[in-house]
Order: sequence, then C-alpha cells, then structure tokens
Amino acid sequence: MKLGLDIAESARISLSALMANKGRGALTALGIIIGIVAVITTMTAANGLANNFKETFSVIGADVVYVSRMPWIIRGPDEFARFNRRPQIELDDGERLAQALRGRAVVNPYVGTRELVRYGSKTLDAMQITGTTDKMVVMSGTLPETGRFLMPFDLQYRRAVAVIGWEIKERLFENRDPIGEKIRVGNRDFRVVGVMAKEGQGVFGGTSTDVEVYIPVTTFAKIFGGRQRGFDVDLAIKGMSPDTLADLEYEVIGEFRKIRSLRPGEDDNFSINKLDTLVTAYNNIMGVVVGVGLMVTGIALFVGGVGVMNIMFVSVTERTREIGIRKAIGARRRSVLMQFMFEAGVICLFGGLVGIVVAWLVTLLINATLMPASLSPAIAVAAIGIALVVGMLAGIAPAWKGARQDPIEALRYE
Amino acid sequence: MEATQAPAAGSPTLLLEQVVKTYVMGDTEVRALRGVSLTIGRNEYVAIMGPSGSGKSTLMNMIGCLDTPTSGSYLLEGLPVGKMSDDELADIRNRKIGFVFQTFNLLPRADVLHNVELPLVYAGEPRASRRKRALEAIERVGLADRAHHKPNELSGGQRQRVAIARALVGNPSIILADEPTGNLDSRTGEEIMRMFDELYSSGQTIILVTHEDDIAAHARRTVRLRDGLIESDVTNGARRRPAAAATAPGP
Repeated sequence: MKLGLDIAESARISLSALMANKGRGALTALGIIIGIVAVITTMTAANGLANNFKETFSVIGADVVYVSRMPWIIRGPDEFARFNRRPQIELDDGERLAQALRGRAVVNPYVGTRELVRYGSKTLDAMQITGTTDKMVVMSGTLPETGRFLMPFDLQYRRAVAVIGWEIKERLFENRDPIGEKIRVGNRDFRVVGVMAKEGQGVFGGTSTDVEVYIPVTTFAKIFGGRQRGFDVDLAIKGMSPDTLADLEYEVIGEFRKIRSLRPGEDDNFSINKLDTLVTAYNNIMGVVVGVGLMVTGIALFVGGVGVMNIMFVSVTERTREIGIRKAIGARRRSVLMQFMFEAGVICLFGGLVGIVVAWLVTLLINATLMPASLSPAIAVAAIGIALVVGMLAGIAPAWKGARQDPIEALRYE
Repeated sequence: MEATQAPAAGSPTLLLEQVVKTYVMGDTEVRALRGVSLTIGRNEYVAIMGPSGSGKSTLMNMIGCLDTPTSGSYLLEGLPVGKMSDDELADIRNRKIGFVFQTFNLLPRADVLHNVELPLVYAGEPRASRRKRALEAIERVGLADRAHHKPNELSGGQRQRVAIARALVGNPSIILADEPTGNLDSRTGEEIMRMFDELYSSGQTIILVTHEDDIAAHARRTVRLRDGLIESDVTNGARRRPAAAATAPGP
C-alpha cells in the first residue's frame, strides 16, 4: 500500500522533473539509445548469422553421419599431412558398410569434382559434378522438380544420365524442356533425366543444389576415377530407426573399423563428420565475434550509464532544497531514494524504447541489404531489461546521496 | 507505528529535560544548547525568541525532530525522540509536526493541491481521502480557488497560507513556525498571524520562532533564549504590562 503510493509519487515527481528539463533528459537518453541500438543490432546480427548458417548447412542433415578420409575441420598443415597418409575410402568400402548396416541404416557414397558443362553453344565453367546414388534422396529429402532422380539401374549399368540443378537448367536451356537433352560434362555426353527444385544461396555460400550436376557415382568412377590419384569417396549414413546420432556414430565406427581390419588400440584411419562438428566450430568462431561485439556495445552502454549517473548527480544537487522539504514533512530515505531511482529508470527506459525503434529500423535495413534478419521479441525484452538495469546502477549512487541528506543542511541549501 | 495515539490526559505535548546540543566545527566544539528544560502543554501558543547565536534555531530543529539532543531527553507526546533513527524521525515529523518556514519551502513544480497533500502521501494515505483532506485544508486557509496554481503564480502571503495548509493537513500535535512573516510585508504578516491566532483558538498547539516582538506578542507565552540557555519564560499577560517586562518573571 505504502510502497504503491511511494511509486506513484515517485513517478509523478520524476516525470515532472524530466518534463522541466526535456532537452537535458533527451541528451542523456541519447547515450543509452546508442548503447541499446548497439546491443540489439549485435544480438540480431548474431541471430541472423546463426539462422543463416543452419539454413545453409541443412543439406548436410542433422541426423546424418559422414565417413571421410579427412575431418571437415583441419587445424594446420601437420594435421593435414597426417590425415593425408590415410588410405582412401573406396566405393567397395561403402558397399561393405551398407551390407554391415543393412536394415539399420542407409549408406550413400558420393564424390565431387569440377568440370565444364556444355549444351549446344553454351558452356558453364567449373560446375560442381557430384557422383552419387539413388540413396541421396533419403539423405536430403529433396526430389527433382521435373523428371526423376538417379535410379538403381542407372548405377548398376553406369549409365550416362544426369540430374541438373535449377540454375544450370536456367542458364543452359532457358525456357526449353531439358529432359531427354544431351549435355556434355567434361568430354562425355550425359542425358538429362531430372531438374532439381530451386534452392537459393545463403550468406555462407556452401553447397547449393542449384549449381550442381548429379551423375551416378559408378559412372563417375568410370569416367573421372582414373584421372585422380585412385578414387576417394565420402559416405553419408542415415539411421533408419530414431536412435540417437551418437548410437549411429558408435555403430558406424565399429563397423568401419572391422572393414579396415583395425586392431583394438589402433587409431581410426578415417574420420567421422557430422553437422554438429561444423556447428561447434561455428559457435566457437561466432562466440568470439559476438563476445567482442558485446564488449564494445557494453562499453557504449557503460558510457551511456555514466552520462545518466552524471546527470542524476546534477539533478540531486539541484534539488537539495526539495529533498530538505520532503524530508522535513516526513519523507523517509526510501521515498527519496525511489524518487531519484525512478528518474534514472525513466531516462533509461525511454532510451531503451527509442533504442528498440531505431534498432528495428536498422534491422529492416540489414534485412533489405545484407541478409535475412528480424528483431526478435526476446531481444527487445532483453534490451528493455538491460536499459532498466543500467538505469538502476547509474541511479543508485546519486539517489543514495540524496536519500541520506541531512534535512537541516538541505533546507539551508541555496 | 503507534505514533498516532493520543497522549495520556494531562501529559505535556512536549517535554525537554536538560537538553544539550554540541556541534563540532573543525577543532572547536560549539555548545548550541547548554541544558534546556521546557514543557509545553496542549493548545499552548508559545513564542521562542532570542538573538542570533542564542540556540534558537537549534532548539527549533530539536522540537521539530529534525535534530536529536547530544544529551538530555526530549519526549514528544511521551515518545522518546532522542533515540530514534532517521526514518523514525521522518515518521514523527510527518505525523506530529507541521512546519511553516520563513521562505515557505513549497515544491515549485507542484501545484497547491499537490504541495498540501504531500505529507499525506508520505503518511501512506489513500488517494481519495488524501485529496479530500488537502482540499479541506486549502479551503481553511482561503485558497480554494487557487488549488491548481503553481507557487510562482501566487503572492507571498498566499504561498505562506499554502504552507500553513500543508502544516495543518496531517492534523499535527504542534505547528512549528520559523519566522513565518519574515519574508512578508507587515500587512500580509498580520494576516498570517491572524490565521495562527484562529488556529490557536480552535485548539491547535503553536510554537513560533521569531525575533520580532510584535509577532511574539500574538503568543500567550514567550520563551527567551540566550547563549544556549533559557533566559526567561513568561506568559504574555505579564509581558504586556510594560513595568513587569523589566523585572524578573515569577511571583
């Protein structure tokens, strides 16, 4: 009851004090506005990048385990040299792993290279050519927009058929129907049997089906295999039961060690990769970036807070006599304290709200130019909370100075 | 807080016994009050007089519960003020003392109504009854038509009447007025003094701190201080006889 009245009186007084000094209040709030805009923009950008990252790499599949010769993330040339000595993963290895995991998981071997793609007089340089199998559909869940994907008999007979990405179709065929047409990949002709749906490109680049040509991995081996140093594929493995990824990983490691005839105690001579590995690496990097960003914004907020503290000291000094009057007629310390805390809080709350509006505009700008970004309500609420905390911290020392004024001294103050 | 309890019948409103107040200023100790004993009963009208440096202001601060004695005791309606914390003193001032200052001391940004209801805000009184009581007090000092004016829109006399309304609104035990006419011309001063006289007639206890004899003459009793001690304490019936004023008080 009494607290409520205190708050009401504090609100009344601090608002009228602020209204009497609008310019000063607004300038003080500016520091907080800048700080809040910085905080929100940093957090929104980090959020946007994280979402983008997830979207870009969703092709990898969160529930897929990859067996490769090398890990996706290699730290330095020494590691590279070590991994480079490992035996290659052959198509046969994939076959054996598929046998071992039959009924439990699907195995899709794939391999890539870059080749010239030509249709009629149009040529596209260095397109991503991926040798894969019909199992890829199981891994990624993407199906061709028109035509069909690779089929088991394409693989069995090493047929020269290709499924092309949306952008390749656009650039080579424009409005013509590509199904059944012959395109040249490297120095071989392939018949187009399907076109993938448009996927689009994320900020991080990464692989997009739009600019890829899919051919049977067996055909790939026949054509390109000899040119490379042997033939090294990656194996994508997706569990068929909803077991955890960790279980699948454990199984895959066990089976592949058997295939490689590794003795207990011997190191794996292959690597297990998964989306998680990339996410962890991403988080490590972004953690540092966001950390630095927040530190800078923290400094901006700190400076804003110091501005508020400064102006609150001025306000308390200016109103020494008012404090004396209030104390003489019965204001307790708490009432005076609250009055000034409220004032600091209102300045910062105002700064926070304006900051959110400005940050929202900045977000729209980012969204229009850089990448998809949106101001999440959680961030807005957090920003208001931060602004209030800054206000309280900045207000406490000046408010306390006011609260413990001796009423006799304060009344005498001119 | 049980501060609103009425005092036991017959007990004095305020009772100071051997009150000493010492200030330390730099290296020197200033003894502002050197053992003041004073009893003031309900519905008394007392003027406290004395030259500057007599301890008059210190005594006023003491009575007003703005300050506490270094030694001795002060009972306000039986409550031992000397041992109270800052916040307890604030509560006592809020409930038992109505201040009227020489410089009015109104909040400049608040209108008359807000100024007058402020003590009730700190007393925790709900808004509706607070408003009602404040308007009653404003009416009592004849400013009903000025309730929503700011202090700077009022004359000095009107401001002092707002201050009186503020002092009255909480129904205090004592109205403590410090040179209430000091910033007013003599005609306005007289108006203000008539207001105090009326309050006294309606049963209010009033303590005036002044150095002007004609202001003190409104009171029924005059306490003179000199060098931190009470020099004289006379009822004004006696003082009004010029011959008696020169001789020592008493039988």
